Amino acid sequence: MEALVQRLAPPPAHVDPDEYDLGADGEGNLNALGVVRGMQVPRVPDPAAFLSTYTNSMSQNPQAKIKLEHGTTTLAFRFRGGIIVSVDSRATAGSYIASGTVKKVIEINKYLLGTMAGGAADCQYWETYLGMRCRMHELRNKERISVAAASKLLANIVYEYKGQGLSMGTMICGWDKTGPAIFYVDSEGTRLKGDVFAVGSGATFAYGVLDQGYSWDLSDEDAQELGRRAIVAAGHRDAYSGNTNNLFHVREDGWEFLGNKDISELWYKYEQEKRDARVAAAAQPGSGEGAQGENPARPTTEVQSVPMEE
Amino acid sequence: MSDPFSINGGAAVAMVGKDCIAIACDTRLGSQSLGLANNFEKVFQMGKTTFLGLTGLATDVITLREDFRLKNNLYKLREEREMEPKTLANLVSTSLYERRFGPYFVSPIVAGLGKGGQPFICGFDLIGCIDFAKDFIVSGTASDQLYGTCESLYEPNLEPEDLFETISQALLNAVDRDALSGWGAVVYVVTKEKVVRRVLRTRQD
Amino acid sequence: MPGLSFDNYQRNQFLAAKGFGTPRATSTGTTIVGCKFAGGVVIAADTRATAGSIVADKNCEKLHRLAPQIWCAGAGTAADTEMVTQLIASNLELHSLSQNRKPRVITALTMLKQHLFKYQGHLGAYLIVAGVDPTGAHLMSVQAHGSTDIGHYQSLGSGSLAAMAVLETHWKPNMTKEEAVQLCAQAIELGIWNDLGSGSNVDVCVMEVGKDAELYRNYKTPNVRESKTRSYKFPRGTTAVLKERSWQVVDEQVVATGEPMEVDA
Repeated sequence: MEALVQRLAPPPAHVDPDEYDLGADGEGNLNALGVVRGMQVPRVPDPAAFLSTYTNSMSQNPQAKIKLEHGTTTLAFRFRGGIIVSVDSRATAGSYIASGTVKKVIEINKYLLGTMAGGAADCQYWETYLGMRCRMHELRNKERISVAAASKLLANIVYEYKGQGLSMGTMICGWDKTGPAIFYVDSEGTRLKGDVFAVGSGATFAYGVLDQGYSWDLSDEDAQELGRRAIVAAGHRDAYSGNTNNLFHVREDGWEFLGNKDISELWYKYEQEKRDARVAAAAQPGSGEGAQGENPARPTTEVQSVPMEE
Repeated sequence: MSDPFSINGGAAVAMVGKDCIAIACDTRLGSQSLGLANNFEKVFQMGKTTFLGLTGLATDVITLREDFRLKNNLYKLREEREMEPKTLANLVSTSLYERRFGPYFVSPIVAGLGKGGQPFICGFDLIGCIDFAKDFIVSGTASDQLYGTCESLYEPNLEPEDLFETISQALLNAVDRDALSGWGAVVYVVTKEKVVRRVLRTRQD
Repeated sequence: MPGLSFDNYQRNQFLAAKGFGTPRATSTGTTIVGCKFAGGVVIAADTRATAGSIVADKNCEKLHRLAPQIWCAGAGTAADTEMVTQLIASNLELHSLSQNRKPRVITALTMLKQHLFKYQGHLGAYLIVAGVDPTGAHLMSVQAHGSTDIGHYQSLGSGSLAAMAVLETHWKPNMTKEEAVQLCAQAIELGIWNDLGSGSNVDVCVMEVGKDAELYRNYKTPNVRESKTRSYKFPRGTTAVLKERSWQVVDEQVVATGEPMEVDA
C-alpha cells in the first residue's frame, strides 16, 4: 500500500514553486534575463520512465505510440580551407518518412553552425537558445564567443538534464580566433574536439567514404565533393537517411550555404560517372578491366528471378 | 519496427484493368535500417498469366516461394494443365492456415487471368484469410501508404498501358514515404496475349 | 500430414521473446444477427474486414454455407471463421451422404462446438448458425471456447450491442418473413453506423421451411462511394522505365505421349 501511494503520488514539493512560475517578466521558459529557469517536467517520480512509456525517446518500447522524429546522417570535417558541414534532410517516425525537407543545419549565428541528430525539437530548441547565449556573450565581452566556449555552454546545459529524456547528437562548427573548430556534443554529456565527425543512424556509412577520401590538404572543391558523396552513400544504404543534401562551407568570414541537392539524383549521377570511367578504362589498351573483357555497361538493377517456362 | 513483418521491408500491389491485370513490387532487401540488396524481387510467375507476390519476412518469402513452386509443378504434372488463379488462391490460403498456430510472416497477393481471360486478384493475411477485391490489393511495409495512393489514383477499366502508369505511380509514391521499401521496382502487366515486365527507375535512398 | 503444423511455433515464440511482437491477423470487427420467423429463420451480416485500424476489405462475405439449407454468420478472426466453416461444411456433407439424410442444424452446431472446444478458444470463431432441416427452423450461436446458445434472436460481434438494441426493441413472436428480414437488416445497419469495427453493406440469408435458402448479397448498400469527378489517369510515358521485356502468352499444347513434359527446373 505504502509503495503504491508513493508511486502514484506527485513528487515531494522540494522544488521551489517559483521555479515553475515563469511570470510576466519572462517569455516561455525564460526569465526576465533570458536565461532558462528550468523546463517543466511531468509531475511523476521518474520523468524519464514516464517519457519512455509514451514516446520512443530513450526506449525501445514498441508500445510507445508517440514516435519522435529520428534517424539522420550529418557530418562535418575540418581541413585546410575551413570546415565542410553536410547533412541529409529525412525525418522518420517509425518507418514512416514524415518529411524529406528538414533543415538539419541550424544557423546559430554568422560564424557558428550546429547540426541536428536525434530529437528534432531538442536540437532546434537548445541550439536556438545557444544562439541567444552566444549573443549575450558578445554584448557582455565585446567579442565573439569561441567555438570551444559555445559548445561547452551547450554541453553544460544538456548535462543538467541528463537522464531526463533529452536526445541530441550535434556538432558545433565555427571559426574563431584559433581558426576552424568542430566540437561534438551529445545529450549524454559528451563533448569532443576533433577533425572528422559523423553523427546519426547513417554515420558509419558516411565515415566509410570520409575516411577513404579525407586529407587535411583537400582543395575546397574536393572537400565539398567529399562531403556530398559521404551523405549520398549514407542516404543510399541507410533507410532512415536520404531525400536531399544540404552543404555548408565555413571559412574565416563566416559560413556559406552551397545548395540543396536531391540525393537520389546525385546517386544516379555518380553511378553514371563510374560507368563512364569503366568504359574509358576498357577503351584504354592493356588496362586490367578491358583485358578481362568485363561488360562495362552492366546495369545496376538486373535481377535474378525464378526460372520460368517460356 | 519490432515485428517480423518489418525487419526486411518491402511492398507489393496488384490492380485490375480492362481485360488485364498488373502486379508490382519493390526490390529492397534490408536488415532493419541497413539496405542489403536491391535485387530482391517479391513477385513470381506461377503460370502463363498467373503471378504470386510475397512480402514480409524474407526467409519466409523464399521458403514459401519454393514451396509454392513445388506445389505448382506437382499440380502441372498431375493435371497436365495450369493452375487457375482461383485455385492458386485457395492453395495459398490452405497452405498458410495449415500453420495457424506457427505462421509464416508474409502477406501474399495473387493476380492473374482466369478462364477466358477473366481478371482475378486477391490478398491474404498471414494465416490465409482471403481478401477478394475487384479493384486493387496492397501488401508490405508500405501498405498504409499504398492504400492511400491506390484509393486516390485507381479507376476501373484502364487499358494495359494506362494501368501500368497508375500502378507504377501508386507504388513509387507509396514507397517514397516508407523507409523500408523502395530501392528499385518491377511491374508486370498481363493481358490474354502477352506479359510485359518493366523495371522502373526509382529513388535510391 | 493431416492437421495443423506447429513447425514455426518455437521460432515465433523466440522472435516474440526477443521483442519482435507477434502480429495480429485480419479480424472481422463485425455485426452479425439472426432472427426466427413463422416458418423459417434469417441471418444477416455487415461486410467490413479490418486489420488494426485499416479497413482491409470493404465488401467481404461473412455469411458462410454449411449445407444447402444451413448457413452461418461469422465474427472474430477472419481466417478461423472461414476455415472452421469450410471444414464443418465438408464433414456435414460426408455425414449426410453416409446417413442418406439431410443434415440437421443441431448436428452442425455440435460439430462446431466440439471442434472449437478442442482448441480451447485459440480458434477465434464466433458464429451464428441457422437453417431449416426436417425438424424445423433453428437459430443458434457458438462461441470460440465452445459454449452454445439457442434463441429466437441472436447478435454477435463488436457491433452486437447496437444490433441487440434493435432486436430487443422491435422483435416480436411469429413475425412474417418480410418483417424478420427488415428487422435483421436494420439491426446490421445500426451496427454499421454505431460500431467502428463494422461497416459498408448488409448481407442477408433467408432459410424457409420447404424452400431453397436465399442469399441476398448486398441486400442494402448504404455506403456507396461517391465517384470521382475528375480522372487521375497519367499520360502514357509518365513513369521512367529502365528496362522492358515482354513475351507472348501461347496456348497450352497437348503433350505428345512419350515426350518428357516440360516443367520448371
